[in-house]
Amino acid sequence: MAAAAAPGPRAPGGDGGGGSSSSSSSLSMERIQSLTDLSDLEAAYGRLCEEEKVVQEELDALLEQQSTIENKMVALHRMGPNLQLIEGDAQQLAGMITFTCNLAENVSSKVRQLDLAKNRLYQAIQRADDILDLKFCMDGVQTALRNEDYEQAAAHIHRYLSLDKSVIELSRQGKEGGIIDANLKLLQEAEQRLKTIVAEKFDMAMKQGDLPQVERFFKIFPLLGLHEEGLSKFSEYLCKQVANKAEENLLLVMGTDMSDRRAAVIFADTLTLLFEGIARIVETHQPIVETYYGPGRLYTLIKHLQVECDRQVEKVVDNFIKQRDYHRQFQQVQNSMIRSSSTEKIEPRELDPILTEVTLMNARSELYLRFIKRRIVSDFEVGDSMASEEVKQEHQKYLDKLLNNCLLSRTMQELIGYYITMEEYFMRETVNKAVAMDSYEKGQLTSSMVDDVFYIVKKCIGRALSSSSIDCLCAMINHSTTELESDFREVLYNKLKQGFPATTFQDFQRGVTSAVSIMHSSLQQGKFDTKGIESTDEAKQSFLVTLNNVEVCSENIMTLKKTLESDCTKLLSQGFGGEQAQAKIDSCLSDMAAVSNKFRDLLQEGLNELNSTAIKPQVKPWINLFLSVSHNIEEEEFSDYEANDPWVQQFIVNLEQQMTEFKAGLSPVIYDTLTGLMTSLIAIELEKVLLKSTFSRLGGLQFDKELRSLIAYLTTVTTWTIRDKFARLSQMATILNLERVTEILDYWGPNSGPLTWRLTPAEVRQVLALRIDFRSEDIKRLRL
Amino acid sequence: MKSGVMRLVPPVSRDRIISQFPKWYTPEACLQFKEHFHAQVRTACQQSAGTAGLKLSKVVVVGDLYVGKTSLINRFCKDNFDRDYKATIGVDFEIERFEIVGVPYNLQIWDTAGQEKFKCIASAYYRGAEVIITVFDLADIQTLDHTKQWLEDALRENEPDSSFIFLVGTKKDLVSDAVCERTELDAIRFANEMQAEYWSVSAKTGENVKEFFSRVAALAFEQSMIKELEKTSGHMAQIGAGNLISMLSFASYVHFPSSLSCC
Repeated sequence: MAAAAAPGPRAPGGDGGGGSSSSSSSLSMERIQSLTDLSDLEAAYGRLCEEEKVVQEELDALLEQQSTIENKMVALHRMGPNLQLIEGDAQQLAGMITFTCNLAENVSSKVRQLDLAKNRLYQAIQRADDILDLKFCMDGVQTALRNEDYEQAAAHIHRYLSLDKSVIELSRQGKEGGIIDANLKLLQEAEQRLKTIVAEKFDMAMKQGDLPQVERFFKIFPLLGLHEEGLSKFSEYLCKQVANKAEENLLLVMGTDMSDRRAAVIFADTLTLLFEGIARIVETHQPIVETYYGPGRLYTLIKHLQVECDRQVEKVVDNFIKQRDYHRQFQQVQNSMIRSSSTEKIEPRELDPILTEVTLMNARSELYLRFIKRRIVSDFEVGDSMASEEVKQEHQKYLDKLLNNCLLSRTMQELIGYYITMEEYFMRETVNKAVAMDSYEKGQLTSSMVDDVFYIVKKCIGRALSSSSIDCLCAMINHSTTELESDFREVLYNKLKQGFPATTFQDFQRGVTSAVSIMHSSLQQGKFDTKGIESTDEAKQSFLVTLNNVEVCSENIMTLKKTLESDCTKLLSQGFGGEQAQAKIDSCLSDMAAVSNKFRDLLQEGLNELNSTAIKPQVKPWINLFLSVSHNIEEEEFSDYEANDPWVQQFIVNLEQQMTEFKAGLSPVIYDTLTGLMTSLIAIELEKVLLKSTFSRLGGLQFDKELRSLIAYLTTVTTWTIRDKFARLSQMATILNLERVTEILDYWGPNSGPLTWRLTPAEVRQVLALRIDFRSEDIKRLRL
Repeated sequence: MKSGVMRLVPPVSRDRIISQFPKWYTPEACLQFKEHFHAQVRTACQQSAGTAGLKLSKVVVVGDLYVGKTSLINRFCKDNFDRDYKATIGVDFEIERFEIVGVPYNLQIWDTAGQEKFKCIASAYYRGAEVIITVFDLADIQTLDHTKQWLEDALRENEPDSSFIFLVGTKKDLVSDAVCERTELDAIRFANEMQAEYWSVSAKTGENVKEFFSRVAALAFEQSMIKELEKTSGHMAQIGAGNLISMLSFASYVHFPSSLSCC
């Protein structure tokens, strides 16, 4: 630290004349000599002494280190000879390594040479083997051919074909080239001969229908490198079998009696037999193809088979169209759909069997195509396990093309196209019929038409579903949605529009007008209802039944949607439909579900209508009777009221009577909604008359009693809580029951406790003013 | 639960986010001239952003066979173009997700088959279409003549004035500019008669395809939002009116004499 501090003052090298120069080392002799002042001299001396002390300390420190340094030097000297030794050792080691390296190189080069020699040897052996094989093959082929052992011959040829061609070329250039050349020539000749023989024998076996022979030669083709030819020849044979069987079946069909149990679906059955036949062929011959031709070849076989399948399908479908008059029926349907009236309409029931048959045909085709697809895909998967992505895509493309472009699927698409129009017609006409034949049985909530219509819709969609075609199914769901939403809803809507007639004995005036309006509306509809006023009961009934119908419709739609959802999931899990099938179905079904809400809206409309035309006109006068009962009463009248209830009991009886009529005729859910509407109405109307009355203290008590029994009654008839609807009235009753005006403050504002006031301060004052014994000044003075 | 599921869906890709109202193709045949979303819709969107249920509109694409309906949709939805013609069987279906003014929105595009034999199937899907796109081939004037019939068929299944109509000429890359202009004049005349908006596009080059569908999405979205707003406001009014107790009428009844005396 001191040493470090010392140079500090030295550095500035001050030359200031003002005395106390700071530098000490530069305290040169001249400077000292030039000093004359004693104090200056003393200062210089002091500084020099300090400096000396510092230098002394430094020197001491350095001297202390001397011994360690000397020690180290000694150690270093001692190490000298050792280092020389190490150097010598290292040189020796290096020499050894170089030597070893050279040795290793020498050895390995020999090994390499040996390896090369070995390889050449192997090649030589291989070639010798090949040549021997060649010779052996040639001899073998000759003998095998002589013995008609074609498998053996083919095996030899196969061996020859799998020989390395370059090896053969090389051998030909050798010394024995001539012999080998001759051998080769013979072999090639044998190959050609074998090929022709096999082809001939195969054809012969095919002609004779000799399956073992056919299969025998079929196995030989791949040995000769004739995969494609073998497959095509073999499938030719299989096609012939398919064709024969199909022709037989078709002849059988043409001969079937119309009374046969399966006559209605005979063409679907024929197609089924055809498909089953092909499937069986694929099933039985796939192992042979796989073993002898390798994986990935099934596509070729099926492609050939599909051509025959298409041909047979065409025949069956042609016959179907001819025999069932499919096109003419379609034309007729189309005509009757365009010109909805007149001309001879085709009876929908007549279409029933043919529609079922078409869907069945399509379902079978879909099933068959799915089978083929699965088989080919799995075959390709095995064959393409090592192939590149491009090859896989190429194969996928082939497959799609085969499935989509085959005549079978095109024909089916065409049939389904016609089917949808006919099914739509069937549905619409049958629904119309169900509506026309609508009947109602006493004791039932709904009329026959709802069940019938939904049975029909379900049947039609179910049939479309059974076709296994997603497009067809979605199309029918859409048609059903349209049918329900527009046509059928319209029917119900029109019924509700006729309104609910008010009962004559309740209000004669109203009864007459409603009767007139009924007659009026029936006149407008072109049919005069002779039953006139007597039919009001029926009209009422019809209105209530329609309300029930609407509700059931809304529910049925949701049920139908759910059932369809699960049906579709089943269908899709079986692998039918494309990638977007689920989304398509979801979209169509959600459209259908939306219709359910439309029916709900319609129900609400109907209920409002019922409430305002049937309930309100009756309930209102009953409530107005309240006005004729004075609530400005004294003790005597109060006890009299207790004995002879002036209003509420009668009101409850009336309500009871009125509601029983609805309770019997409406479904519980609708009835509940209706009572809900009614209680709201009562609450509103009662409030109105309350505000027109005046009350004494006991009158308030009377009203409280009345309200309590009314609420008690209404609670028994509704399932929902009605307290909420009567909250305002209950609070008004509380106000009317007060002893003094100021007592309200015990319940108001911070004192309200759990009670939430539904009345505004102004309303509270208004109710308070109904008490004749409360002074208006007191009320005005209230601070609310 | 639902919001948890929603979050699993990857966000809408950047080019499907629409915040400005897309422009029309030609002012001579277009459905709306506005350049901004309806103010009411915009505020409703800002309020309900993210919370409202997924909105969806149905789009039906119709037109003659081989005019390029599927290609048009594939260019937009998958951004590819297949030179090979593959006839559509029955109907195909794509869902395209958008985000418009911050609200997730789906277009459900139904691609119908143009072949006559599929008309029965395809026509069953026309109902409830918010947008009808009639497609023709700019290089084949006959297909333009047929658009009217296609539109008529599609409209029959829908309530009148409930859907937007678009007329689209495809394969713009195949015709020279001069021919295109001449055909466009005819097409615009058709579009005006059909009350449709006209667009020329090319699925092969992708020209105008994105712009077109954005325009479709924006118009359909705005329409459905307006409808929803009307519905909810209507509902609320109904609930309020039904249950309110009219103390007011009583009050006016009380005040009546005084106002009379005033006169």
